[in-house]
Amino acid sequence: MPSNPLPLNSCRSGGCTLTGALSVTTSVRDSVSVIHGPAGCAHHNFSLLHATGLDNDHVAALNLISSGMQDMEVIFGGEDALGAAIRSAIRQDVSVVYVLSTCIVETIGDDVAAVCGRDWGVPVVRVPTAGFLGGSFQTGVSNALTAIAGTMPGRVLPKDPHIVNIIGEKNLEYEVEENYREVARLLALLGLTINVRFVHCTGINELAGLGEASLNILRDDEMQPVGDLLYRKYRIPSIPSFPVGLSGSLDFLKVTGDLAGIDPAPAISDEKDRQDSLLDGFSGTAGSMLRFSLTAPDLPANRAISEVIARLDLKVGKDGARVPMPPSPPVGTEGVRRMLHRWRRALNAGM
Amino acid sequence: MPANGIMMKQIALYGKGGIGKSTTSANLSAALSLQGCDVLQIGCDPKRDSTRMLMHGNFIPTVMDLVRERGDAQLKKEDVVHTGFHGIRCVEAGGPEPGVGCAGRGIIATFQLLEKFGALSGDVIVYDVLGDVVCGGFAMPMREGYAQEIYLVTSGELMSLYAANNICKAIKRLSSRVKSTCRLAGVICNAKDMPREEELVAEFARRVNSTLVQYIPRDRIVQLAELNKQTVIEFAPDSPQAGKYRALAAAVVKNNSLTIPAPLEIDALESLALEFM
Repeated sequence: MPSNPLPLNSCRSGGCTLTGALSVTTSVRDSVSVIHGPAGCAHHNFSLLHATGLDNDHVAALNLISSGMQDMEVIFGGEDALGAAIRSAIRQDVSVVYVLSTCIVETIGDDVAAVCGRDWGVPVVRVPTAGFLGGSFQTGVSNALTAIAGTMPGRVLPKDPHIVNIIGEKNLEYEVEENYREVARLLALLGLTINVRFVHCTGINELAGLGEASLNILRDDEMQPVGDLLYRKYRIPSIPSFPVGLSGSLDFLKVTGDLAGIDPAPAISDEKDRQDSLLDGFSGTAGSMLRFSLTAPDLPANRAISEVIARLDLKVGKDGARVPMPPSPPVGTEGVRRMLHRWRRALNAGM
Repeated sequence: MPANGIMMKQIALYGKGGIGKSTTSANLSAALSLQGCDVLQIGCDPKRDSTRMLMHGNFIPTVMDLVRERGDAQLKKEDVVHTGFHGIRCVEAGGPEPGVGCAGRGIIATFQLLEKFGALSGDVIVYDVLGDVVCGGFAMPMREGYAQEIYLVTSGELMSLYAANNICKAIKRLSSRVKSTCRLAGVICNAKDMPREEELVAEFARRVNSTLVQYIPRDRIVQLAELNKQTVIEFAPDSPQAGKYRALAAAVVKNNSLTIPAPLEIDALESLALEFM
């Protein structure tokens, strides 16, 4: 039985397993996600995913079906309703059906795995979710990626030393595409290209090539269980996180180059020049006093921000101009650039 | 005020599974009916056998089965309320097959439907509720102003007293709600023929702040009546056992002693049982 390990204010750090899993499964093209539960769960999540997509300038074509549980399904069990929803999903001629359950389904004990395990003619994949019973938003993300990886062919494929996978992008985060482009740019400095985004607007056929990469880049350390799974499955080592901040980007180049058997020195040199040029562009802010309305989201963000403050000779104090803290650590050199633009606008506005 | 002079009583019998709640309920309903009361008995157990002896061995269609087959919009009061022995109106809530769904929610849905039909009427409504209070759904007869008088059915066996004590906890919790009208009305000893059993159950009742309202001895006539698909009241009205059920009915009608129970700690319960060994 899950207890509640979350802080009292869990509105940001907790969340619903179902929503986390949907942020992954709805990003697989040619698929449909069946939400086994009351229609409201599908409605609420559709609204959230759609609105978040719009916020990121992405009109999400969400393919969701609800099993539409009502009182009778709660009382007598909802497995028949789930079967009907899966049949409806299959009629859409999709390549795969993901089945996600809700709080009430796990409370009454529907055997979702048994329903999914029937011979449906197309893969019907159970993604362990269970709403509040299943864990947090991030558990849902991990469970969905693990379930999807479980459907991939298990054999170890010949590796292309110049391609890497991106694992566990936060599809709902602000600047998800900008972060991806920054990682792609840094990898290109090493002569590496991206094979599969696991999973972000990814087709089933693309997923089949997951095992061909020589390296997996995890979005952050919360993706480590998925990285471990992919190592066991495909013998692909992983880099534990997207690069954070300036020196974090240089470290990223070094570790990635070393692991890929590529001399990282030229790439690091180029990136240092880029970072020096970036800081020159913001040298006019030197000596300015800042204050933050929020604390940094985590330790890597703290380090990255402290480094920028030191290198630009900024001060932090309660009388400083109020500048926005990035909602997640700045990814790469370009993440720092966007953060500094926001700070400079705040300084210029004298906020 | 009904013609027989009593306000409508809504009583619920709770107790350990297999302790004899349905037998006691059916005989109580039969005795109340013969004393002039208009009685409605509602079986709140997916086993659906609460009213069977009142219906001469027939299993009546359950509310939940009917809703599943026809949908609640198609149902009428007469589909779910069936008339049995001496005009007693019988309802079975029913529920899912064992191991699937949520039977507690089925009880709640049944009550909502009976309310909609205006079926919760009469001089006495007897709610016969499944075993223990396993979830909020099975506490439904105690909530929302349904059963106001709770009778615990127990023998002198420790596990039976343990279940009764647990139900006291539920009653105490529900009694604390502002709008709650649910109270403990008494303890019925459905005996297993243990030595000093009546004394033990009476003492248990006293310690949980209640009283023993009726001692019902173990008697083969109960099994005989059931094999003949009747209550004891109908099958052997002149038997001593029928007299016990009539005495219970009389006690229930005149009982105004409603209390908030004081459940025992497990150690105290075990000590009590030891005292009477």
